[in-house]
Amino acid sequence: MSTTDFALFGAAPAFAEPLSVGQLYFPSWERYQEAFRGIFERQYYTEYGPLNQQLEQKLQQFLGVKHAICVTNETIAMMMLADAMGLTGKVILPAFAFIASAQSLSWAGLEPVFCDVDPDTHQIALDQIAALIDKDVSAIMGVHLWGGACAPKALAELAKSHGVQLYFDAAHAFGCAVDGVCIGNFGRAEVFSFHESNILNATEGGCICTNDDELAARLRTMRSSAGAGKPVEVTKTVNGRMSEAQCAIALMSLEDFPSNQKNNETLYRIYEAQLATIPGLRLVKPSGVSFSNYQYLVCQVDERAYGLSQDMLIALLKAEYVNARRYFYPGLHRTIPYAQELPQYLERLHNTDSLSALCIQLPIGALVSAQSVERICEILIRAHHAATAIHSRYAEFSLVNAG
Amino acid sequence: MVKKSNIAELAIFGGERMFSTPKPTSNLVRPDFDKFLGYSKIFFERHQYTNDGVLVKQLEQRLAAFHQTEFCVTFCSGFWALALTIPALARPGKNEIVMPSFTYRRMADIAAWTRLKPHFCDVEEDTLANSAATVRPCINANTALIMGVHPIVNFCDIDGLVDLAKEKNIPLLFDSVESVYESYAGRKIGCFGAAEIFSLGASKLVNGFEGGYLTTNDAQLAERLALMRDFGFRGQDNIVVPGGLNARLNETHAAMALASMDDLEDQVARNRERYLAYKRLLAPLKGIRLLEFDESHRPGYKNIVIEILDDWPLSRADTVSILNAEMILARAYYTPPLHRKRMAYPHVPVELPVTDRLAERFVLPPCGHLVSNDDIGEIVGLMRFISANAAAIKARLNQQGAQ
Repeated sequence: MSTTDFALFGAAPAFAEPLSVGQLYFPSWERYQEAFRGIFERQYYTEYGPLNQQLEQKLQQFLGVKHAICVTNETIAMMMLADAMGLTGKVILPAFAFIASAQSLSWAGLEPVFCDVDPDTHQIALDQIAALIDKDVSAIMGVHLWGGACAPKALAELAKSHGVQLYFDAAHAFGCAVDGVCIGNFGRAEVFSFHESNILNATEGGCICTNDDELAARLRTMRSSAGAGKPVEVTKTVNGRMSEAQCAIALMSLEDFPSNQKNNETLYRIYEAQLATIPGLRLVKPSGVSFSNYQYLVCQVDERAYGLSQDMLIALLKAEYVNARRYFYPGLHRTIPYAQELPQYLERLHNTDSLSALCIQLPIGALVSAQSVERICEILIRAHHAATAIHSRYAEFSLVNAG
Repeated sequence: MVKKSNIAELAIFGGERMFSTPKPTSNLVRPDFDKFLGYSKIFFERHQYTNDGVLVKQLEQRLAAFHQTEFCVTFCSGFWALALTIPALARPGKNEIVMPSFTYRRMADIAAWTRLKPHFCDVEEDTLANSAATVRPCINANTALIMGVHPIVNFCDIDGLVDLAKEKNIPLLFDSVESVYESYAGRKIGCFGAAEIFSLGASKLVNGFEGGYLTTNDAQLAERLALMRDFGFRGQDNIVVPGGLNARLNETHAAMALASMDDLEDQVARNRERYLAYKRLLAPLKGIRLLEFDESHRPGYKNIVIEILDDWPLSRADTVSILNAEMILARAYYTPPLHRKRMAYPHVPVELPVTDRLAERFVLPPCGHLVSNDDIGEIVGLMRFISANAAAIKARLNQQGAQ
């Protein structure tokens, strides 16, 4: 098998434009204009405006949750929540997660306790949590991954039996359900991200969902939004407002959720069928849910069976304008400052270390067509067949570039 | 508009409200809608809605040029701009931040999020702001940072604070949210101290829905903060600085800020007309003193501040309540001052006699885009009516209070 038809070695890229991994759903230009014309007419730009109120009501209905509190972005929402829940000392979270989960704890003055993950589902390893609970641990932060869920009911039992609080980073899980109950209803609270990379896009944005009235009142006071209910005692406030602009885009995105979810699922099924035929590439299925948003397409590369490593495959795809990426890389315990401040985790989290060297994220979302998925899979198949030749050319190529 | 001919017609006594829509103290400037759409189209066509997008870059260049600084870094709000800049500048190992108490109501909370202890300093009678003389007694071996905070009208003691910071070798950060447009000693505000912080909130001079930015001539600081607002990432997977979070400005907010910048010169002219209307109408009113802008500094005239003098016949609280009942949303200036508020976090206990006295005296009457010159005529007319009928109003208020 020849290497000459790969862009990495000089052929024309398979795509005319770079194809990125984010969801990037956005309303049409006409709808955008109309929504913003309304904002300009009302001259109400932020501070719990009419669109913010509408969005929170619609989210509450959609998710079947008592309180949805919209915030500037998910990281700030997670920071506010940790503070409002009165957490102290340490919080357990999976190391195979996005950096925001750990940073939210640092900002709230808490120490992360990194737990390893399950090698198949990639979700937090339930059987390893109990051993990490000591007198300083005040909570477990579950992180739902890849349009799946991290066993929220089992985690609730575990947290209860150890007398610690439980909450969730649900950035990947908007619209997902466990046994018919929407994510947003588990633990003391769950936090969504409305960043452009997720299925519900507000450009930036976040939302804390809870069924706890007292916690909701505290969060609304902390967020600083006039008119959002009677202020209550809080330790400190933030500017956590989501503007009318963000809310307008989120409202349209919520309306589009059914069709965007369907589009994701259609693309996911094509990947699923194609990847099943390629040795060494394992699609990571959304685990633990009765309904998924299919917003992530992640697969594990088994170098021996596939023929190429994660890094080589990413380089090859990038040259074709398929902006595949490692995700998550590295594990949280290997990032600054945790690797230096908490070195005890460095040699303990084998599944996280191994997954961060194996996983690649492929494009799925608004800018990806069924034909694009077919073409990406065709590249993946060709690369598998040409793996040996690619290896030798790649070594040559790296030497030339290094020189 | 409802005119008052006797005190029973005052809304506080059950009469019809003078205005049917609120007259706020927020700027709420509305840029040209087509200009906003024009900017929006740029990000819309690129399918990039955040993450250091093309409009954020354009806005940063434009603001740096406007403030005559080398660098500008934008953030999701002024609050988070401060919360990231303070720790980036603070002297390592030191834990106190010197700031006025007579300022933005969330300033001490910002310090608490950065784990520094607010050490409140007093202010000068004539500027309502801190100075070298009021800051000097607060400096000790624990001082990590000095904040110079510009008041709503004119400046804090720029030269004195710059000299003091240099003498003590302590970094100086200016909160210049209220002084966007001004110049001092031939240089634009934005050029002084280690850095200056501004807001793009809807109530501020440049409306970006929500947002904030920093200006500096320090390349290292600008680079560090640009990384920290994006979790500390350099490139896709590499975290290179600790202490980050998501504090990015999204593209819609950047589009709004750019459209507001296009209108800035016209806006300042409109603001000046409002200011001059207040000046002309308030001049004959005994007991009220308008804080005058020093026009040699090219002010932006965004807000109006008046002092309730000893010979004004009603208390400030009663005056504000009467106005508020008419939908004139006048409010007390920075009241209560921060050192008088309950704080659930460490701070340095202080006595601030000047702040305490001044905190009882000033009021912000309505201003900004939703207030016309005719409205100002009516508002001052009502104040004249209140003054002329003060004895009867007081009696009726006392009667109401007794019931």
